[in-house]
Amino acid sequence: MSNLRRAPTGAAQAKPNSILKTLQATELIVSKPVLPAEILVAILDYLPVPDMMRFARTSRRLREMVYDDTRWVARLRSLGCWDEAEARRRFEETMRRRRELADRASAPGAAAAAAGGARPVQAPTSTTLFDAAVEVERRNQSQLRKVTDGFETMKATSGQPPRDPFEDPEALLQVIKSAKSVRGHAREEYGKIYGALAPFYLDLVRAKTHTDPIVFQVFRDPERQAQMLANLRTFAKSDWAQGWQQREEKLASMISIFESAVLREFEQGYEFWDVDGRMKKYAHVLDTLSGDGGSAGVELFIHKHPIFADKEVLANSMDCINQAPADEVVMEPSRRFFEVLSRKVNAQADIIERIFPRPGPVFWQFVGKVREDIITEYATPLFDETHERSILSYVKAVSGLFEQTLQFFRTLTPPKGGLKAEQEATAKEFTLKIFEPHLDLYLQDELDYFVRQAEREVGDWEKKLSEQDASVESFYMGSFVNRQADKRDFLTSFKKVVMMPVSVLPTSLGLPLGSPFASSSSRASAIAPSSANGNNSLQVASPSAPSSRPHSPGIATPTTNVGAERTGSPLPGGKAPSDELAAKTALMTSRLEGIKSLFSIEVALSLVHQAKATLGRIAVFIQLGGQAGGEAREQCETIFVQLLRILGGRHVKAGFDKAVTHLSQYNARAVEASQHDKGGVAPLVTFIELVNVGDLISQMIDVFYEQQLAGPKIADRNDFLDPAGLAKKKFEQMLDESVAAGLNKGIDVLMDEVEYICATTQLPTDYNPAGPDQQQLGPGTSSSSSTTPAEKAANAAAFVDMDIGPTHTAKRVRDLVASHTSMLVGSTDKSMLDVFNGEVGLRLFAAVCKNLKRQRVSTAGAIKLIADMNLYFDYIRSLKNQDLLAYFKALRELSQIYLIDEKHAKEMATIIADGDRFGGIFRAEEVYEYAERRADWYHVRKDVERAMYGLECVVM
Amino acid sequence: MCIRNRSFPRVIHKPSPIHQKKSKSTALAQNAIAHLASKSTSSPTPKMSEKTVSKVTLESNDNVRLQIDRAVAERSMLIKNLMEDLGDDAVADSAIPIPNVNEQVLRKVIEWCEKHKGDPVQSAEEENDNRKKTTEIDEWDQKFMQVDQELLFEIILAANYLDIKALLDVGCKTVANMIKGKSPEEIRKTFNITNDFTAEEEEQIRRENEWAEDR
Repeated sequence: MSNLRRAPTGAAQAKPNSILKTLQATELIVSKPVLPAEILVAILDYLPVPDMMRFARTSRRLREMVYDDTRWVARLRSLGCWDEAEARRRFEETMRRRRELADRASAPGAAAAAAGGARPVQAPTSTTLFDAAVEVERRNQSQLRKVTDGFETMKATSGQPPRDPFEDPEALLQVIKSAKSVRGHAREEYGKIYGALAPFYLDLVRAKTHTDPIVFQVFRDPERQAQMLANLRTFAKSDWAQGWQQREEKLASMISIFESAVLREFEQGYEFWDVDGRMKKYAHVLDTLSGDGGSAGVELFIHKHPIFADKEVLANSMDCINQAPADEVVMEPSRRFFEVLSRKVNAQADIIERIFPRPGPVFWQFVGKVREDIITEYATPLFDETHERSILSYVKAVSGLFEQTLQFFRTLTPPKGGLKAEQEATAKEFTLKIFEPHLDLYLQDELDYFVRQAEREVGDWEKKLSEQDASVESFYMGSFVNRQADKRDFLTSFKKVVMMPVSVLPTSLGLPLGSPFASSSSRASAIAPSSANGNNSLQVASPSAPSSRPHSPGIATPTTNVGAERTGSPLPGGKAPSDELAAKTALMTSRLEGIKSLFSIEVALSLVHQAKATLGRIAVFIQLGGQAGGEAREQCETIFVQLLRILGGRHVKAGFDKAVTHLSQYNARAVEASQHDKGGVAPLVTFIELVNVGDLISQMIDVFYEQQLAGPKIADRNDFLDPAGLAKKKFEQMLDESVAAGLNKGIDVLMDEVEYICATTQLPTDYNPAGPDQQQLGPGTSSSSSTTPAEKAANAAAFVDMDIGPTHTAKRVRDLVASHTSMLVGSTDKSMLDVFNGEVGLRLFAAVCKNLKRQRVSTAGAIKLIADMNLYFDYIRSLKNQDLLAYFKALRELSQIYLIDEKHAKEMATIIADGDRFGGIFRAEEVYEYAERRADWYHVRKDVERAMYGLECVVM
Repeated sequence: MCIRNRSFPRVIHKPSPIHQKKSKSTALAQNAIAHLASKSTSSPTPKMSEKTVSKVTLESNDNVRLQIDRAVAERSMLIKNLMEDLGDDAVADSAIPIPNVNEQVLRKVIEWCEKHKGDPVQSAEEENDNRKKTTEIDEWDQKFMQVDQELLFEIILAANYLDIKALLDVGCKTVANMIKGKSPEEIRKTFNITNDFTAEEEEQIRRENEWAEDR
């Protein structure tokens, strides 16, 4: 041993002039080459296990080093069989048991063991204070620790004899799995594993050829050999002594020799299609060996699978376009293709399940290959070809094939054990992989195509319109004639149509019409046959549209309307919206003629239809989710925005502008007299029709938004920044503004017309029927030359029967105003309508007053006047506007001054002066002015004035 | 006791440079750079051509001074940190005493450092990983370590003191190889260990670890 010590002589010769004298002085004493503990530990790390154990036998200190639990836990961990949670649980369990033991032991012996005074007090009261419990625990812990690294515990394992692998090969296979995680016993657990596997491992490493290792002699069947080799591979991970690399390489090469042999067997089985025999057997062997499902075998299986050369499966995608007309794609061949494929793949699923121990991943790997080699090969040429032929067929092909593909992946029946959600996710992933290269192009094409089509549609219409502008103008002038009469009837009938559940609608179709939406327009006519009175069904249907308004009192609340209809529908959700849309569109189409020159419902309709088709195609992509789904959703919104832009900005707005221009150019006096008979102001009627149709379109858009965007969650109704929602709001706003602008003009026009009627048809004799001589006294601005034969007839009638009833003029004025105001009901915002009605009423009042001031009224004619005033009053009452009513009440009162006999001039004066009577509408001076219009004014004037101003008193 | 003393440098020295480096190094480095610049020397990283300026002198415990390249010296974390802490001036002026190491061993260590001066420095993580799996000793190192056991141990101790991780590893591996297959008694002799077991106890340990015995 002395030869290991180095004599400290060298150090003793240290020169005193060293700068670190003191340090060197220390060195003199300590110069024995004994390695410190840290270095010994490091050396231990590099030692193979057997040497480590011999090291342990040299001294207590070194044994402790070797036995150190962390060293062995690390090894177990490297084998993947150390479970920290389990170890903790065991540890705590042991702790508890020990504590209980200790408690029991400490209770009787407490007095004896007591070091401090606290113990004996606490022990009898078993409720124990915390201090005591903690102390006990701590004591136990230290005890335990002492025990674990002490010598005693080793008894537990010391008796374990080294097992002879030849006796119990089965246990050897499971040795790694059965290892337990016990703190303080990691070495023993590792010992079990080492004892079982090391002999094989070392033997294998030493083996010269692949036939030598005892592994292959002990275990005869390939399953066990594979199991053992897998174990050895795991075991090799805990071998980190020098040379492990060579050992591991050797092991790996042995395993790969074995694996390729197994693979050969598998392949042979494959060739004979020996599914349940050799294929199954060797697939399992491969799985056991590699632990990852036997990827080599799986690859071989998939790679050599006959499905990829199956003529029946490999269809030609060109069939889809070869059989189709120019812009179409026939999806039938592709459907068949997927059907065949699905059948075949599902058959494989069964086989895979029989062969492979973990069929799920294998199956999806297989399907992945199918996707790559078959479906992509099928789809890509189809897309390329259709893209070259026409965009429409391209977008149809992409969307259609997408849906079929997704469906295909969903209908696959994976082997048992696969989760449904997983399949869904995989289906989406695979579908996305197929369509990813095409998606961007497709979405862009879809949008471009839609915009182009829509623009062209509007452009075509505009072109066509300008060509036949003149003829159309005259046509609509004539066509609105009968509408007024039918309107009221349709108001009720159409309500019924709208209220009807959607499912009922298709049953009523039967009357064939030329319209492409015949089914629903015939429905409208079928419901209201009574009101049709001689009109053709086109005209019947057209006025019915505006009367749908009462159902949805304003643009602001269309959602409730839609909601009600939807809930009322017993049809499955998917079908109802299209029916509803169809019903609406049918009505609109039939209305087309009335406002042909302004904007076309047909155009609006076809735009919406196109948008719907496009959205329908894109919407299938949304279900992909993720980025692709998001893009598809965005594209949907963009298309909706584009739809509104083209429909609103280019089409509807232009129509409104034109209608407003028409209105402002209207001059009541310039229009031929014959037009006035028809009971409406042509441009105003047209405009109001327009408002109605505009509202209809707005509702249509709303329904469209609800059904196509908000319903399937493409657009968020509550997100006020959503582009689709914004576009919709903008569109509605544009519509409202147009309507407001038009109505403003409309009132002027309407009043012009009222005044014109008053001026032209109010005969002086109406209110002054006394005699022909008096007729000439009338101020009659109206020239008799302008009266039409009809008026003359009316005049004559008035002369003949002296009927007490409103005059012809009053009736016409009333009808005119009433019809126009009622047309608007429901077609626009309620508040706007109120304002409109109020304005119309006021203006009507002014017009009536003006008219009155032009007339001479006799006592006899006063009856007629009162009747007229009552007529107006009744009409105004129907508007439900209190302020307005006061005016006409006053007017009614006013008309009574004409009834007073000339003998009662004094009373007349009282009435004139009675401001309360007229509700403050007329001042006494104004009433006086009206009194001047009495036919006998010059007779009564003196008396009246005298009564009024007290002139009588002055004279007296 | 002596074992504890010996082991101090490696154990204690390790954390301290890390802290100091953070706090002082910037100022020190600037000083060093200024200093070097004033001497009109080029880059502080030593190259073969700049031997003259980037030399450090080590002094063994038997007072032999050895002048070596700075890069070589910096294989030792101890010296590296020391130079960083004291600044170049101090290092340039006087020799660094290596009180635990005699000339023979120091030369040997320097020889190794010369050979390995280009090696990448191991990070702490790598260190942990590499602990698990022993890498082979390369040929040169094997030859280098073919010395008598006494010297081998001294080299290991010196490597430990100077904090040259790689050299320490090589040394430990060599020792591990050396005692492979040796009996407990031989191991005791090798490491100068006193047997404090009784014969029965030793037998007991052997029995309980029978599983590990070579067959």
